[in-house]
Amino acid sequence: MPDAQRKKLAIITTFWDWRSHANHMSERFLNGYPRDGKWHRPEIDVVSAYVDQRPETDLSGDKADRHGFVIYPTIADALRQGTDKLAVDAVLLIGEHGDYPDNEKSQKLYPRYEFFEQIVDVFRKDGRALPVFNDKHLSYSFTKAQRMVEASRELNFPFLAGSSLPVTFRIPPVELPLNCRIEDALMIGIGSSDAMDFHALEAMQCMVERRRGGETGVKAVQLIEGDEVWQAGREGRWSRRLLEGALARSDSRSGIGLSDGRPQDLAHSGELEELVENPAAYLIEYNDGFRATLLMLNGAVQDFTFAARVRELSKVQSVQFLLPPQPNVTYSACLMGKVEEMIVTGQAPFPVERTLLVSGMLERCLESRIGGHQRLMTPELNVSYRAPRGSQFCDALG
Amino acid sequence: MADKTSRLTASEVNISRRGVLAGVPAAVALGLAGGSTSRGDRQVERRPRVAALVSEYRKYSHGQNIVDRFLEGYGWESGWHYPQVDIVSLYVDQFPESDLSRERVARYPDLNLYPTVTEALTLGGNQLAVDGVLLIGEHGQYPKNEKGQTLYPRYEFFQETADVFRSSGRSVPVFCDKHLSWNWDWAQEMVKTSHELGFPMFAGSSLPVCRRIPSIDMPWGADIEEIVSVGVGGIDSYDIHSLEGMQCLAERRRGGETGVVWIQALRGDRVWEAMDAGSWEDGGWDPALFEACLCRSQSLTPADKNSRHTYPSRDDLARLTSKGNPLVAYRFEYADGLRATMLLTEGLVRDITVAARLKNQREPFSLLFYLGSGHEMQPNFFNPLSHHMENMILTGRPPYPVERTLLTTGLTAAGVESLWLGEQRLETPHLAIQYHPNKESTFRRT
Repeated sequence: MPDAQRKKLAIITTFWDWRSHANHMSERFLNGYPRDGKWHRPEIDVVSAYVDQRPETDLSGDKADRHGFVIYPTIADALRQGTDKLAVDAVLLIGEHGDYPDNEKSQKLYPRYEFFEQIVDVFRKDGRALPVFNDKHLSYSFTKAQRMVEASRELNFPFLAGSSLPVTFRIPPVELPLNCRIEDALMIGIGSSDAMDFHALEAMQCMVERRRGGETGVKAVQLIEGDEVWQAGREGRWSRRLLEGALARSDSRSGIGLSDGRPQDLAHSGELEELVENPAAYLIEYNDGFRATLLMLNGAVQDFTFAARVRELSKVQSVQFLLPPQPNVTYSACLMGKVEEMIVTGQAPFPVERTLLVSGMLERCLESRIGGHQRLMTPELNVSYRAPRGSQFCDALG
Repeated sequence: MADKTSRLTASEVNISRRGVLAGVPAAVALGLAGGSTSRGDRQVERRPRVAALVSEYRKYSHGQNIVDRFLEGYGWESGWHYPQVDIVSLYVDQFPESDLSRERVARYPDLNLYPTVTEALTLGGNQLAVDGVLLIGEHGQYPKNEKGQTLYPRYEFFQETADVFRSSGRSVPVFCDKHLSWNWDWAQEMVKTSHELGFPMFAGSSLPVCRRIPSIDMPWGADIEEIVSVGVGGIDSYDIHSLEGMQCLAERRRGGETGVVWIQALRGDRVWEAMDAGSWEDGGWDPALFEACLCRSQSLTPADKNSRHTYPSRDDLARLTSKGNPLVAYRFEYADGLRATMLLTEGLVRDITVAARLKNQREPFSLLFYLGSGHEMQPNFFNPLSHHMENMILTGRPPYPVERTLLTTGLTAAGVESLWLGEQRLETPHLAIQYHPNKESTFRRT
């Protein structure tokens, strides 16, 4: 019998197979997870789930049988545990993976907003609102994302969202000093668009939001591709020095690294341009005049790295956001640790506005791409917020 | 010998060794021309030359990984580091079809391959002609003895090196990869020779200097009561890595290193039976330290195929470790009473973690030695090891005492011996090795 003191958690997800986010995120509550050198078992019980798509590879039934929770046919039923009243203490909304259509911007139309609306509808009807975690960007649509944040403010519930990259292990464990003057920043990422670029943009954002004056929002964005990316580097629109700084943190192999094992000075050897299949640069201009760039370098690297020039620090600052290996993928334990913290304390450990802004940056960048790679003014992205004072990543040192 | 770069990041000089070797004069490449060439010339004279003695130079062998880091540079902090020393000569013992040493010699005009260790050290002349020696006797086809030790010719390479030092009346710094030798007496003689001839030497695994998660060191002067490692691999190859990982933490304890008084190795089911004893006193180890290790691991095998990450039950432990290399435990006690257990648990994890019980501290100290995950990644744990080799050649100061590796070499040989003698407990008076490391941490933190 569940202990009355323990919190009850509902999992609302699109899809639950072995590799899905629903699986490795839920496991942290079902099995526990390693934390500070101990196996930590949250005082939280998964009591219900809604799973939108259940193909042959579905594991939710097996997990429900094994761990004693119930899969309900609707989101409202999951939140009410089949009764007529809200019957859980927190909600995980994991709208990632599953078979959903793409739009013309190559965004996957995951129904996060639609699920969220149903969750909030129950909150309104039942007169009680609970902490909610939304995996990855809030929605493919900035307008919908804005509505989600507005609803959380209106109903006054803790709302946490985003990628695991901001909270995963960092190599080395670098945090930029709060209120430092960041002069330039560059992120390197990999993977497909509207999936992995989101992770990279949010990793970049969690570093640059610490600049003096706090986050002020984004004025304009531009996404360029192909040779134009290298041309933009030559023109100084992004920094080769920061490219070197970020690449020095990469541990991946490609090209000659795979063919005969040599270490690769990709920033200077000329091999980078040959290896990258279709480079893309996401050029972000902020309202306070700061600029940052995400380079997507598929084919050359396999990891996520960042570099910045900070006026107060003589050396270029750089870091790898570590994605620990399969099957444990402990980065998701880092993120669920933050979700647990929110459920226990009732406070989101970092502002959802970060994810709101990044959701908007990404959508506008993809619009820039299909609109001929034009620079787009983004007055709607005037999202202001303050970075959390303390470090939020997994191996941050005292 | 052309100069390559001074200690500047690549962006500041925008030059690669290859570019320089292709014939760009160093001073010009460095932007020092026009009044500064004499400075450049002096730098040319000052750049130390290094010989690498390698058992096998093929893709992903230790020889390739280390020597290539000197030839090509590597990522270091926020830039690309080009070593300030030049590997100019190679002795390679075995040439499999996949050999890369000949390709490297063709690629780097100033790199030459010599048929003997002596000629690599004298550059074909009569006298020692290099400023440092890298002895990398790991990988290659060498016979194993009846105890399961691979007879890598490290001692043989070392002896020939020492002969050249003696006949030249001059010695230079030496790095020896991994344990000094499979043979304890030889290892002891190697260290004795380094002291007699007065040359700096360090040795061992990359574990002590690789990144750690979290990025911490054992508190200096800690009162350590018990230490446990959980790692992978087989005896005489991966035990040395785990032992060095434990030792680089243990040696920082109060009073410094005192040596080891006895060791007992266990194999197979006896390992988990020892764990069931529940404590060191009863023949096992502190279960909280074992748990801390598994919880620092980032590659803990889940209990079933539908799960990604579970904490193993006792049954899971036995089942998951029943295939592959057999389970091994080395239990040993230091002269000052510190208790240690090294576990090789193939099937359970794919990485190496250590946990220690400190006096008057409720929670164990624990960390992961972060090595990356497999050949799809660069083995950048060689970067800090290579950096220490370079620094020793430049400064004449080893980063840590070679006695650390003498002790782990002895522990490795004694552990193997204990297994060979049917898991006997062995007294180890020969391991009464005392030393004091430097207080400053030497692992890769930045």
